[in-house]
Amino acid sequence: MSTFIIYLQLFWEYFKIGLFTIGGGYAMLPLVTQIVARHSEWNFSEQQLTNFIGIAESTPGPFAINLATFVGNTVGSQTELGAFGGILGAFVATFAVVLPSLIIIIVVTILFEKFKKNKFVQGALRGIKPVVVGLILAEVVKLGCKIVLPNLDIKTFSVEGDLQFNWVTLIIVAVFAPLSQIKIKRKKIHPIWLILLSAAVGIVVFGVLEAPHYS
Amino acid sequence: MKKSVRKQRNIESGNKPQKVSLWQLFVTFFKTGLFTFGGGYAMIAILEKELVSRKRWITNEDMLDMLVIAESTPGVIAVNTATSVGFRMRGVLGAIIATLGVVLPSFVIITALFFVIDKFNLESNTWYKAAFTGIQACVIILIVNAFVKMASQVEKSWFSLILALGSFAVAVFTNFNIIFVILIGGALGIVYSLIAEHVAKKKSKPLPLTESERLDEVAEEGRENSQENKTDDSERGDEQ
Repeated sequence: MSTFIIYLQLFWEYFKIGLFTIGGGYAMLPLVTQIVARHSEWNFSEQQLTNFIGIAESTPGPFAINLATFVGNTVGSQTELGAFGGILGAFVATFAVVLPSLIIIIVVTILFEKFKKNKFVQGALRGIKPVVVGLILAEVVKLGCKIVLPNLDIKTFSVEGDLQFNWVTLIIVAVFAPLSQIKIKRKKIHPIWLILLSAAVGIVVFGVLEAPHYS
Repeated sequence: MKKSVRKQRNIESGNKPQKVSLWQLFVTFFKTGLFTFGGGYAMIAILEKELVSRKRWITNEDMLDMLVIAESTPGVIAVNTATSVGFRMRGVLGAIIATLGVVLPSFVIITALFFVIDKFNLESNTWYKAAFTGIQACVIILIVNAFVKMASQVEKSWFSLILALGSFAVAVFTNFNIIFVILIGGALGIVYSLIAEHVAKKKSKPLPLTESERLDEVAEEGRENSQENKTDDSERGDEQ
């Protein structure tokens, strides 16, 4: 695959993500997952994506931009351009995801009053919002299935060999769910702290105690 | 003497609606990008404090308008807000500069982080793997929270429920392109809204009513005899 084509793909896919997702970062996630899965030539595993979600959430800046920079770096650095290719890839992905916003926002700001009342715009949003909610729920189920029952194929409900069950991971999920809702001084615990805590738990449970884990 | 003149000038410049320089715009959004985690809504809260309360570049009302735009147009919410503010302050160039400012910190930090992970081959490191096995369990909770937050903002209706379940099933059990799922959702939303509008119009003419509603109606008719002619006219209009 020629290097140029890779960057073209990166641009096109991220341009579409920027153009078609309403609702910000997590609304983009289902699309990113699907695109990464479809482009096997990018050599980008789902595992990497999940790791990057953790990193993107615990570094400064908009979540979706962080993720785009990561994907661009990973895909670009595999070309013959090496490290520079990574930076170029990150630039291409970030630029592509921002470009539709730039154009659309300028047009919409000029036409704001009409835009706000337009029944087609309002109607489309009425349909897109629940769809995005459904897509995010699908993401939860797929990811949950992958980390708790790694060899179950949810599309066909088929299992390769014996069913593996990561019960330790399930326990961690069950502990973090209520933890994320705790409020201190009326504010929920910031995601960064949850991620750092979960990293520490992971190191202790899977690194030091060597709890069983399939992946 | 000199001092008092300078003081006066400061006060004047403080009271006037100052023209914001491109550099100021860039620095403001660069800082916002650098110091907010998670983007989107977290960033909006900070921008509101900075732009409306502290710098007074924009009014609260303008901020709300910009939020509506940022949320109901495609793209990253934080970037949309930056583009929108930048455009209002300094036109197209302002939009580009503000967007660049908010994106740049992410770009630099993540690229640096990527180099570290790549250089030390952390992805095959046992401790790195153990840490991220823990983080994965946390990430799923974060996505669930994002789901709950977004679901609470959706209009509660059968239509929404059916669309959400439909898109959920398609995403889990098929390889159907998600962009088309979103586009179909938008199209159905338009059709549904138009039908709902049509039905609402039809409903406005008297339909068979329940007993208590009918009594209410009778009482009202007695009170508003003068308006009856008008409703008769609109009925005739509908039938044609």
